[in-house]
Amino acid sequence: MSVLHIAEVTKTFSGGTHAVNSFSLDVADGELVCLLGPSGSGKSTLLRMVGGFEQPTSGRITIDGEDVTHLPPERRPTGMVFQSHALWTHMNVFKNLAFGLKLRRMPAGEIREKVEAVLELVGLAGYGDRMTNQLSGGQQQRVALARSLVLEPKILLLDEPFASLDQHLRERLREEVRDIQQRLGITTLFVTHGQDEALSMADRIVVMANGKTEQMGRPDVVYRDPKTPFVAGFIGTMNLVEGEVTNGQFTRSDFTFPLPIADGPATLAIRPEALDLTASDTPKATVHRVTDYGSHGLVDLDLADGTRLKSMVAHPDLFRTGQGVDLKPRAVAAYRNNQQIFRS
Amino acid sequence: MSEFVEKAVSVPTETAAGRRPIGLLLVAIPVFLVIWLVIWPAINAISRTIWRTDADGHSSFDLSSYAFFFSDRYSLDNLAVTLWTTLVCAVLLLVICLPIALYLRFSHGRLPAYVQALAILPMFVPSIILAFAFIRVLGPNGMVDILLNAVGLPKIRTPYLTPWGPVIGLVWDNIPLTVLILLSGLGSVANQSIEAARDVGANTIRVFWHIILPRISNSILVALSFSVLGIFSSFTLPYLLGPASPEMLGPFMQRTLRDVQDPIGAMTQAVVAFGFCILFGLFYVRSVARNRGK
Repeated sequence: MSVLHIAEVTKTFSGGTHAVNSFSLDVADGELVCLLGPSGSGKSTLLRMVGGFEQPTSGRITIDGEDVTHLPPERRPTGMVFQSHALWTHMNVFKNLAFGLKLRRMPAGEIREKVEAVLELVGLAGYGDRMTNQLSGGQQQRVALARSLVLEPKILLLDEPFASLDQHLRERLREEVRDIQQRLGITTLFVTHGQDEALSMADRIVVMANGKTEQMGRPDVVYRDPKTPFVAGFIGTMNLVEGEVTNGQFTRSDFTFPLPIADGPATLAIRPEALDLTASDTPKATVHRVTDYGSHGLVDLDLADGTRLKSMVAHPDLFRTGQGVDLKPRAVAAYRNNQQIFRS
Repeated sequence: MSEFVEKAVSVPTETAAGRRPIGLLLVAIPVFLVIWLVIWPAINAISRTIWRTDADGHSSFDLSSYAFFFSDRYSLDNLAVTLWTTLVCAVLLLVICLPIALYLRFSHGRLPAYVQALAILPMFVPSIILAFAFIRVLGPNGMVDILLNAVGLPKIRTPYLTPWGPVIGLVWDNIPLTVLILLSGLGSVANQSIEAARDVGANTIRVFWHIILPRISNSILVALSFSVLGIFSSFTLPYLLGPASPEMLGPFMQRTLRDVQDPIGAMTQAVVAFGFCILFGLFYVRSVARNRGK
């Protein structure tokens, strides 16, 4: 059983920048938690603090109850997979994997056995003699993963491991990594700025901004019920419409929508798949562009004041540029002062 | 239309053909200089030392100048002190410059910038100034002696006019180039590959031995080769700071030519020095080729 506990961790760089600000997180045994956020949100710094490559300014990090806050990386029960693979190019694949085991003074036979087993696990059986520069990007990333796994770390740390790979390979590898993680039941902290990766792989997502947690929860919950406009805008595609509520009616340009909240400014959030379009004699928006993705279509719309909205439609061939349409939101959320105040 | 196509096709060919003489001309200048200043004198020196003309004007194959060099105690002592100085300097340069380069590569802030400026400073100090500064500081009754005397301590045994004099001067003189070459080699060692090594359990020494050193072995070879070649054939510092006997090959050649007025003897010494430098060069090329092949 391996549990990671991060308590009130803060990292302040010289100049007073708070990279991570009073951050707390518990990762359960065998759980895969994704730290998701834009560049500069502090997710990589946090991961590096768990790995021991950065020292927290304050706070505490424990693994299975043992305080590792001030331990150097070589003495932590963690294994990190780096974005750039960080393979040692002067060693072949076998030596890359065996290096950590040799440092632990393991007998040669046992090293060979373990390395071959983990190469099999990542689908690279028989690649031990290859030099790392003879491998493709995907194979190099598998070697990097195998190098961490062969040491059987209590916590696996993945720092944007697929960022340098193409889309197709990224999708394939994230499935493989998820399979391996579940098979081994290894507690994993995964950093990414790709929402697709986070939504498809994580047991739990932590959305970060400015070194703090914006929202934490199951991927489907975070997607369906974003608690702040930042999360709403960051996870998936979202129409965020700023307007005014008067007498229970939200208004932006010609677009109105009944919203049972107190009068005042508000931000209305509507997912493209929850925004239906209908033909109307009194259109509220004009079709700007129609994009057919085969399985569905995406219609870009302009309100009279130029506000751009998106709607996902099943039959894009029914719409054409310049066409006037009425907007029928099926589900909305409303935000005021950075807080969710209404959800339908 | 076809004429237009013909022209369009012919333009790049003409341009490439037009560029060729300029390229050849640019290469010709250094090639000509190397032939004029290095290869021709080397061939000339070798031929004049092995194809000698006797008093009667008869030319014949004659290795007597080499036989003399390799049987003369004084010449062999000079060769030995040159090799000793080169070896000691190479070891000291590695021992001094590698920690400096490592510090500069892995440190941040203002202090490393000052250290780097200090390490590069000797590059801008002419050898002759350096030699006289050395004499004023470490020479007899120099600054160190004056300071020791002021606090009632005995004088130091000055390295001036001992084999250690040129060693200190040459090491100082070669620090900038060695540090710069090592630093450029260390630039190719990514931070993440070091972090990955620490992540799998390597401490600082193991990271240096297993990760950093193999990656910079070529740079170490280049730095040492450059230093060794320069030190082996150095003149000013050994001439000003070294002992008169034995002396390094540089001053030995000059004295044989000017004082003893034995041009064949001086040329023989030059050919021997050239031979050793070629050996160092071959060792360097072989090592680099082997490392590239790995």
